Amino acid sequence: MWEDGLLIVAVSFFTAFVGEGLTWLTVYRTQKYQRLKAEVEKQSKKLEKKKESVNVAETDKASKKKLERDEERLRNNNRDLNFVKMKSMFAIGVAFTALLSCFNNIFDGRVVAKLPFVPIAWFQGISHRNLAGEDFTDCSFIFLYILSTMSIRQNVQKLLVLRHPAQ
Amino acid sequence: MYSAAHAKRNGVHGKNKLAPLYLRILKSQSEWPDKDEFLDVIYWLRQLVAIIIGIIWGILPLKGFLGIVLFCMVNTGFVYIYASYYQQVDESEFGEGWEFAKEGFMTTFAGFLVTWIIVYTGIHANDSAF
Repeated sequence: MWEDGLLIVAVSFFTAFVGEGLTWLTVYRTQKYQRLKAEVEKQSKKLEKKKESVNVAETDKASKKKLERDEERLRNNNRDLNFVKMKSMFAIGVAFTALLSCFNNIFDGRVVAKLPFVPIAWFQGISHRNLAGEDFTDCSFIFLYILSTMSIRQNVQKLLVLRHPAQ
Repeated sequence: MYSAAHAKRNGVHGKNKLAPLYLRILKSQSEWPDKDEFLDVIYWLRQLVAIIIGIIWGILPLKGFLGIVLFCMVNTGFVYIYASYYQQVDESEFGEGWEFAKEGFMTTFAGFLVTWIIVYTGIHANDSAF
C-alpha cells in the first residue's frame, strides 16, 4: 500500500514536470508569447507612469482620452496573451485527462492509502470513490492524486518561474 | 534563483552589497530590500515546515481533525514568528498582517496532507484491522 502511495506521488511529479515542460515548449518559448508578454509589461509600466502624472497635473480631456485608449490596447494585448496560453493548455489538459483515466482504471476499487482522519462529508465522494465498505479512512487513487498534484504542480511552476507575472 | 535581473525588476540596485540568501534566511533581522524575495523565502520555508510536520504527525501518529488544526496553528505560527520576531520585517510593507499567512497556504496544506497520509500509511496502516 505504501508503494501505491509513493507511485501516485511519483506520477504527479512526472505529470507536473511534463505538463510544465510542454507548456514551456508550446507557449512560453514561442516568439508570439514573448513578444506579447514584453508588450504587456511595457504598456503596463507606461500606463502606470502616465496615470501618476495625470493625477498630479489635474485631468484634461485629451490626456484622459489617450489614457483610455492605452488602457484599451493593454486589455486587448492581455486578452491575446491569455488566448495563446489557453489553446495549448487546453490540449495539454485533454492529454492529461486521458492519462488520468488510464491510471484510474489501474487503481479502480483499490485502497491506496489509509487516511489519518475522516474527511468531511463533502470530500468523501472523492476520497472514497469506487471503494467498497464504509470505512471512510480508506483513500482512493483520485484523492491522493489531486492532493499531490495541488502541491507539486504549483511548486514546479514556482521553481521554474514559468508563471506569467502579469496574471 | 534570485538573479540580478530579478532584483533589478523589483527596484533593488545593489548599492549595498547584500549577504548571500541562505545567510540572510538563517540570520535574524536580515535586510530584505526585495519584497518578492522575502515572500518567496516565506513560501519555501512554509513548504519545508509543512513536510516536516507531515512526517512527525505521521510517525506519532496524530490523527483526526486535531492533526489538521494543529498543523494550521504550527505552520502559520511559525511563519508569523519568523517574519515578525526573528526577521522583524515591517508588516505594513507587506499589506495586511495576515499576508504572510496567506502566502501559498493551499499548496502547503496539500503538501502536508500528502506527507502525513503516506507516512501514516507506511508505518501505521497495519496497526488497525485492514
